[in-house]
Amino acid sequence: MKIIQTRDLTKVYGSNGNAVHALCGIDLDVERGEFVALIGPSGSGKSTLMAILGCLDVPTGGTYALEGRQVEGLSGADLAAIRNEKVGFVFQQYNLLPKATILRNVELPMLYAGVPRRERRQRALELLEKVGIPDKANTLPGALSGGQRQRVAIARALANRPALLLADEPTGALDSKTGQEVLALFRELHAQGNTVLLVTHDPTIAGMAGRRVELRDGLIHEEEELAA
Amino acid sequence: MKTSGAFRERLREAWIELKENPGRSFLQALGVMLGVASVLGGFSISDSQNRQAQRVFARVGGIDKLNVFPTDTVYDGTPSALQQANLGLRLEDATDGGQVPTAKAVNATSVLKQAKARVRSQFADQQRDITGIGADYVAMNGYDIEQGRGFSSHDFATGAPVAILGAEAASVFFPTGEIVGKPLRIGDVPVTIIGVFAEKNFRFRDGQRNIFAWRNRIVAVPSLLVAARMEGDEYHRLDRVTFRVPDLKQMSDFSKELSTLLTANHRLQQDYRLDDVAKRLERQMSQGDVYNVIFMLSGVLALIGGGMVNVNVQLASLKERVREVGVKMAIGAPGREIFKAFMTEALLLTLLGSAAGYLIGIAFSWIIAKSIGVPLSLAPLSFIWATVMAVVFGFLFALYPAAKASRQSPMEALRYE
Repeated sequence: MKIIQTRDLTKVYGSNGNAVHALCGIDLDVERGEFVALIGPSGSGKSTLMAILGCLDVPTGGTYALEGRQVEGLSGADLAAIRNEKVGFVFQQYNLLPKATILRNVELPMLYAGVPRRERRQRALELLEKVGIPDKANTLPGALSGGQRQRVAIARALANRPALLLADEPTGALDSKTGQEVLALFRELHAQGNTVLLVTHDPTIAGMAGRRVELRDGLIHEEEELAA
Repeated sequence: MKTSGAFRERLREAWIELKENPGRSFLQALGVMLGVASVLGGFSISDSQNRQAQRVFARVGGIDKLNVFPTDTVYDGTPSALQQANLGLRLEDATDGGQVPTAKAVNATSVLKQAKARVRSQFADQQRDITGIGADYVAMNGYDIEQGRGFSSHDFATGAPVAILGAEAASVFFPTGEIVGKPLRIGDVPVTIIGVFAEKNFRFRDGQRNIFAWRNRIVAVPSLLVAARMEGDEYHRLDRVTFRVPDLKQMSDFSKELSTLLTANHRLQQDYRLDDVAKRLERQMSQGDVYNVIFMLSGVLALIGGGMVNVNVQLASLKERVREVGVKMAIGAPGREIFKAFMTEALLLTLLGSAAGYLIGIAFSWIIAKSIGVPLSLAPLSFIWATVMAVVFGFLFALYPAAKASRQSPMEALRYE
């Protein structure tokens, strides 16, 4: 089953006079269980594409089906529900809530999904163990290293067992060693059956993925199957 | 948050949110605290004063009194024969008044006849007001006999030459303390002292003068003695007749019947005036309401001021909050949930601020009541008013930041720097 299926996806910022065409017609298919790296220079539209794929933004034109469900034209609340249930985000800047404990950061998506408290807590602890930081549950993000924070962010992204894991430059703020560790974690998650879409500008990182999609000027410039 | 008990969950979240941001929460609650404290303090101080005023009236003998005073029938011109023949306020008015159908509601009656006279004992010689009293006057006016005995019905009926002195009068005319049974001359009338009233003492505030000092100056004799032998005419007219009606709801019925009776008794002359003490007091108290409105207004202004502080704090911390909101939206919080979370937070803040405001308000009014020497009285209504207004304003001022936060697009909120 296709997790992502876009047809002629376009995104235009601004209006007539000074319109910027960020995406000019993207046709992209991602199957369940794929590990796709989205690369391209800055300004190529990869962040815009990722925002649309993650339902943070809506396309100007074209169609997008996420796990078989058409998302164009959905209301804000429906998009929020889709983000909550089907998409897990990992950002370059972690985007953890700085004043909430690690446990609470991981619990939050489940809170919005209406998971009962006890179950929430249990799953959050399991996830923290899974990403390799089982003993930090009650500390604040500020007390953690960058690599640990990114692990928390990954645990949070996995909270509601999303269909799609979206990572935007997840190693961009990390040194190369911790970056490698985080990437290894993504590969492990992929090996466990998660669908991962990783946005990066680093070709070596992209080399770890099963497929490489290169964007340039709002269009898919080159697609390449790699041996995973 | 589709589970049941969603509100409780939200409340818990709001509490966590407040705990995570103690500084901001305190600033936001400050306005509520001051507003509630101001409303509460104002109300309780004004209430304390009112209570104290009521206490004064209770000590004077209660507010449940209907007074009848004589008035002039003729203001100018020559009086008609009928007017000349009118009899004025007499003892019969008091006794007849006790016979009307609604008089069941009357539980005490008193009559008063005043005079000014020279009072002489072997120790002093002074011009004094003489209070001629009858029926239940002593009890109704809150006097207690300290020495000797009170007036008997025989004393009243015959206008016996006996007197009871107030504490001050007793000490002036009989400084030695030997008093009961001693003779006293009032004008030309020799009377015998049969008793002394206990000293009456009431200070509106500590350290103020005794506002009942004048009551200790009383020289009381039977009203008939004054009317027959000191001042007055053959009709033995009175200066005041008072009925006590404990059930204030019966007061107006009784006063109507009494009025009809008196008009008949007085040959259809309006030579008397009815004075309902409770009504008069109510009018006086309603002047106190002006202060309540002022206190309420100052509370409202404090709440508005606090609300604006609240909005400003919210907007100032918006940068931090926008990112937070963006993150929450990215992980699946719908705008509606963000809005509810903000409002729940506001509600919780308002309630917590109110609770703190109660403490501050009670402390303030306690200090003020203490400093002006009035016992503190807290009106339950003031708590309700203060809380209701705090919640209303808390909600109103939370609406704007909550709406602003919840209407952002998640993408922009995340990119917000």
